[in-house]
Amino acid sequence: MGFGQFLKAPEYDIKIITYRDVFQSTALESSGCGDEYAERSAVILLDKGDMKKMVLKDGRKAVLKNNFGRVVVHLRPSSYEEGHEGIGYMTNSPWSNALVSSETGGSGVPKFKMITALISDAKDE
Amino acid sequence: MENEYYVCTGCGLLCDDIEIELDDGKVSKVNNACLKGVARLKECNRPAECRIDGAPASLEDAIIETARILKEADSPVIFGMGNSTSQAQKNAIELAKKTSAYFDDTSSFCQGPIVEAILENKIRTCTLDEVKDKADVIVYWGADPSNSHPRHLSKYTYFPRGKERQRGWEEDRTAICIDVRKSDTATICGDKFYQIPPQADEELLNALTNGLSGKVPKVSFGMGPKKILELANMLKKAEFGVICVGLGLVYSLEEIEPLVRLMDKLNEVSNFYLIPMVGQYNMRGSNHNLHEETGYINRVKFTGNDVEHGAHCSVVELLRKRTVDAALIIGSDPMSSLPGSIAKELLDIPVITIDPCNTLTSRKAKVSIPVATAGSECGGTAVRMDGVEVEFKAMTETDRMCDAEILERIMGEL
Repeated sequence: MGFGQFLKAPEYDIKIITYRDVFQSTALESSGCGDEYAERSAVILLDKGDMKKMVLKDGRKAVLKNNFGRVVVHLRPSSYEEGHEGIGYMTNSPWSNALVSSETGGSGVPKFKMITALISDAKDE
Repeated sequence: MENEYYVCTGCGLLCDDIEIELDDGKVSKVNNACLKGVARLKECNRPAECRIDGAPASLEDAIIETARILKEADSPVIFGMGNSTSQAQKNAIELAKKTSAYFDDTSSFCQGPIVEAILENKIRTCTLDEVKDKADVIVYWGADPSNSHPRHLSKYTYFPRGKERQRGWEEDRTAICIDVRKSDTATICGDKFYQIPPQADEELLNALTNGLSGKVPKVSFGMGPKKILELANMLKKAEFGVICVGLGLVYSLEEIEPLVRLMDKLNEVSNFYLIPMVGQYNMRGSNHNLHEETGYINRVKFTGNDVEHGAHCSVVELLRKRTVDAALIIGSDPMSSLPGSIAKELLDIPVITIDPCNTLTSRKAKVSIPVATAGSECGGTAVRMDGVEVEFKAMTETDRMCDAEILERIMGEL
């Protein structure tokens, strides 16, 4: 209940859809523990309008968190011509997987393609 | 001089026209392969090291320790296999029988239901060579091969000239993309890109089935009946159509029945086949080998002569419910590919990795065993994404053993 709550970065709901990127996959083949793979994986592509609305800036970092995990990733505006309000795109990687629900309904298949999380500016993280 | 061609093990496409140059016994140049393939065939930047509890160890000691862990475990799981040769997979199945282990592979949480339906003859399939020679309508649904399988369009589906498709993509072929985002493949498909909202695949499958049955197709999102009928008519008019199913479609379906119904309907009014866009180079081989042995493609437990099967035997449920007390991971990196909240369970049990490269999983493993890279350093056979068996030979020599040999040694030690 302290004053700190007023200084926290605001958090917004975001749906995350994962996709494949040939350059990131290539980096994975070279080294799954390498810097290039990390650089190409720890990124979220956001709708330009969303970035403006959420006051998130290109090149800065964001915190993504939900009940299953918390990651810090780079922020970039997406290059899609059409807007995708409320949806962020991430390559499939340990960073996106950190946010995937562990609930499967006993099916053995996690919901890899539909992740919901809160996004906020990572400040100095 | 006749050129010598090799097979790329970078993905389930198993491109068989790879030319290489060697320098000091190592692959220095790779021609014809895609970016991913080149990276796969050249040695990884951080090769795995033989370690026990983080300390350097001899291969002999690592094998003895692996056998000890498996022998002492009450419920071990053997998982991975997508990047293993068929012989290694067969050896792993034998090892699972001998240790009464659970056995699962990556298809368990990706293309498994599709491969299962194909092997049970619920869905018609064809080879990529038939697609090249005959296909006039190619549908990529929830798939972006431009990034996942970069030579899929150029080698087999859209761009090449085929026996019955001499005019190629310019006149003879139509490529359609159905996806939640405008991927690079969707861009190639131009005005034949149909964008749908996330999780709306089942609705569109049902709408297309209705459209092909003479009913008015309706969906709850902004795609009108006219547009759906336009797509349905393109599919109906195909002389030889193929749906290439990606994970975007697989993950959005609770069950594959709507896809099976669409395929059945398409084959009443047209001529359609389906090919799963398998990622790892021999994931399908694991499905075929286990199916031959047990009648199941994945998710089994061996107990004596009995085989138990079901979702409860999947690697995801085994870890979630902490059913297993040891894990042998072969050519896979579940610490990266599984949800973090599930993969973390691996930290609490002894894990053995058999992999050519250093991975997140091998870094946390109790025993890490390095092996030769299949395709560049080790020959064998694999099953391509379309079910065709492909034989490949090694490009270079190495001191490291192949995964099949390592598994044989572990069996011997047991």
